[in-house]
Amino acid sequence: MSEPQAGETSDDVRARFVEEVEAALGGGPAVAVATVIDPGEQDGLQLGAKLLVRAAGGTLGALGSPAIDEAAAEAGRAALSARPRIEAQTVYVRAGGELVTRRSRARAGDGRLMLEVFEAPGRLLIVGGGHIGLALATIGSTLGFQVTVIDDREEFANRERFPMASEVIAGEVDEELGKVAIDGRTYAVMVSRGHQVDELALRHTIGRGAAYVGMIGSRRRTGTVIQHLIDEGLPREDLEAVRTPIGLDIGAETPEEIALAILAEMVMLQRGGSGSPMREVKGRAPAGQDA
Amino acid sequence: MADAELFAEIREAQGRGERRVLATVADARGSTPRSPGAQLLLRPDGSFRGTIGGGCGEAEVWQEAMETMADGQPRIVTVDLTEDVEGDDKICGGVMDVFIERIAD
Repeated sequence: MSEPQAGETSDDVRARFVEEVEAALGGGPAVAVATVIDPGEQDGLQLGAKLLVRAAGGTLGALGSPAIDEAAAEAGRAALSARPRIEAQTVYVRAGGELVTRRSRARAGDGRLMLEVFEAPGRLLIVGGGHIGLALATIGSTLGFQVTVIDDREEFANRERFPMASEVIAGEVDEELGKVAIDGRTYAVMVSRGHQVDELALRHTIGRGAAYVGMIGSRRRTGTVIQHLIDEGLPREDLEAVRTPIGLDIGAETPEEIALAILAEMVMLQRGGSGSPMREVKGRAPAGQDA
Repeated sequence: MADAELFAEIREAQGRGERRVLATVADARGSTPRSPGAQLLLRPDGSFRGTIGGGCGEAEVWQEAMETMADGQPRIVTVDLTEDVEGDDKICGGVMDVFIERIAD
């Protein structure tokens, strides 16, 4: 599995690498790729060699030693399940094949691997094609999200209004949500024309493994919706995870500002940020110096 | 964020037997313009897609990448953006390691 099959040229392996990475970026299963960027003094490591690791198990390629391949496969699977995602990191290979990720624990002579995760961009699922939905689609697509818009009013869910969306669906919200795939890279937002529709949408979204479920509205009104659904017997922990009130506190007023606050919250969760001003997180540069 | 179209270009270049060099930010310390994982794909004519930092250090990487285009040898370029460069307004800081490999030939 970790060695090229007999008769298979390295060109074939390389082509399969590229195909699998491309498929992952296009929405297929995520993959991790370890590349030897510096063999150091570790025997067997080949500069530029690659090992592709699938979440389901299975690898493609080889780094140079079966023990290191095994350790790198494990590191790759860990990277594929880590949240927030680390897109690329350096892993140090010690004598004996042990892998360490902290630079402070690396020693002279260690080999270096670059460990990358390839997966499709986040999917922004917008329920409601109104002002906020439009701003979310616009800013969200700029940020690299694949955008899906659902609204039960055709005048708010059409291609002319949402040219930046990869999917625009006009139809009954509950029915359409049932057909849409929701998974760990789905960021769902309820910004429909009213709370009844938001409640309906929420009912068909929670508990399906989305990375983010948020609902717009005042604390009082969204609290009522959540309580309704808890009373109905929907899982409390799923409902308590719903982001409402939605977004980061930036004092947003206009639809565009509200969309920005919501997307900022999503990026914060994706990247593992704190949501605090940088100046408070990092401290200020002393006066007279460049930041 | 890695780019599906960039990998589509690599696949097509491999199919046609054309060269492409991929530069990836492998590691970054301090405040660098791009984070690890950022990629740039270089073509034999010197044009490229993607960015690993805009004006900040890209010229240096481009030059090394053209070397890899010619000799096929993978290499790491450490770009130090903390140095005071004449004519540079020092908006870039930090140090990044960029791994360069000929991904299609």
